[in-house]
Amino acid sequence: MLQILIQGLLLSGLYALIAMGFTLIFSIGRVLNLAYGAYLMVGGYIYFWVSQSLGMPKLIGVAVAAALGVLMGVLKYRLIVKTLKGDHVAVEISTLILAVVIQAGIVLVFGDSSKILLPIVPGVINVAGASVTFNILIATLISWAILLGLYAFVRLTHTGRAMQAVSMDAKGAAISGIDPDRINLITWGISGALGAIGGVFFASYTQLSPSMWVAPLIISVAVVIVGGIGSILGTLVVAHIVGFLEVIVVATLAPELRGVFTMLLIIGVLITRPQGLFGREEL
Amino acid sequence: MSYLEIENLSAFYGKAQALTDISITVQPGEIVAVVGPNGAGKSTLLDSIMGLVKIEGDIKLRGHSLAGRAPSEIVRHGVGYAPERFNLFPYMSVRDNLMVGAFTAREDIQSNLEMVHKLFPRLEEREGQETSTQSGGERQMVSFGRALMTSPELLLVDEPTIGLAPKICHEIAEVVRKLNKDYGLTVVITEQNANFALSLASRIYVLESGRMQTSGTADELRNDKRLLEAYFGGH
Repeated sequence: MLQILIQGLLLSGLYALIAMGFTLIFSIGRVLNLAYGAYLMVGGYIYFWVSQSLGMPKLIGVAVAAALGVLMGVLKYRLIVKTLKGDHVAVEISTLILAVVIQAGIVLVFGDSSKILLPIVPGVINVAGASVTFNILIATLISWAILLGLYAFVRLTHTGRAMQAVSMDAKGAAISGIDPDRINLITWGISGALGAIGGVFFASYTQLSPSMWVAPLIISVAVVIVGGIGSILGTLVVAHIVGFLEVIVVATLAPELRGVFTMLLIIGVLITRPQGLFGREEL
Repeated sequence: MSYLEIENLSAFYGKAQALTDISITVQPGEIVAVVGPNGAGKSTLLDSIMGLVKIEGDIKLRGHSLAGRAPSEIVRHGVGYAPERFNLFPYMSVRDNLMVGAFTAREDIQSNLEMVHKLFPRLEEREGQETSTQSGGERQMVSFGRALMTSPELLLVDEPTIGLAPKICHEIAEVVRKLNKDYGLTVVITEQNANFALSLASRIYVLESGRMQTSGTADELRNDKRLLEAYFGGH
């Protein structure tokens, strides 16, 4: 029982970090960024290349991955989302195509075999009888720190309030002197960074492979659909629902059913409460 | 040179033309009202000044053209806007709504906040309340307050009395007068309520079906029974 509680808390922290960037874009830009999983994949691979292939310090690897995530987010907004402004179906299809193109690029550069990413922080600790790797523990702590930092940024800074304002009423934001285009650009940049950092920790928790973008995308979609229009606190709560659901299913039923119940949860919420559990347009 | 000069303005929503060949001048320190029935194009006129609508023609503020500028730039030029539908941020507190208005005027936050609280003490009392839970009158106050937080010289107010109780309408009229007299703001206000417009503005433009019908001073219009009958229903 305690093992489930600890594993659930740790996995949920990681899922919250993974889903945050996705929900930010959905809340502010109203775009389901289906290439989001590819940010995670690229983040993981870039970290692998910098820290394991080049042998540079791990922090540099995380920083390069985050920087590339920002670049991917910004370029995608400028080149695709802004160009196809207003046509959500076209944006979503093009983001999905982009994910497949990025996957092909990864195969070309790194090959199609899976790679083991060494733990960012090696070692195991025993917590109340449950063995916990430092890697997932650090991932969870960093995830919480990033989410708290993001919460403070959104609530306390002018730019953060502007992000909330654009998500709630774009016209109201514009007549307050906010340039929604610039706020969207900043949001896509932050989302890219969060995705890439999430990808580093996700890859170190699982492994690197060219198809690794699918699972975090499903987790992110689940969090948005189950939570409704994304808020930071809502994302945190729903990430815990999804995380604990997986841990309980793996511990009590079968590891093969890990993602199945998340899918069923999505369908169940779509049928019974299409607006999601929270469904408020706030960050 | 007028303070605000609108020359041969036409406005469009896609292919639909909402305003045709509108010309208006506003002098510094004036209160000018634009009156007309529903669908006359009053809100479109203010949206055009704010850069929210595609236009032809020109809009000049202090001689500088606003045409083609983004709303955020127009706000930086000293234009504040309290729209008819408020366009507030429903899940943010009153204070946060006001702080969003300060996005381009951060150095004036304290003085602007004091002004807003002086004009609308209720906003200070309820600064932590979400605007989604407020009454129409309170939201109107927040909308005014947010516009004032942008440090405007020109305030655009779109149908401030619509759906509000007479007492609140009276309070709003008092606030507009104070902003004009005590704080030196130039005001352009749109209204369906002719009495409200006549009591407040020095000059009035009458708009109908997207075209300018007539204009004059409040006294001229008040004394013209034909015009009163035609455009203000005989009030």
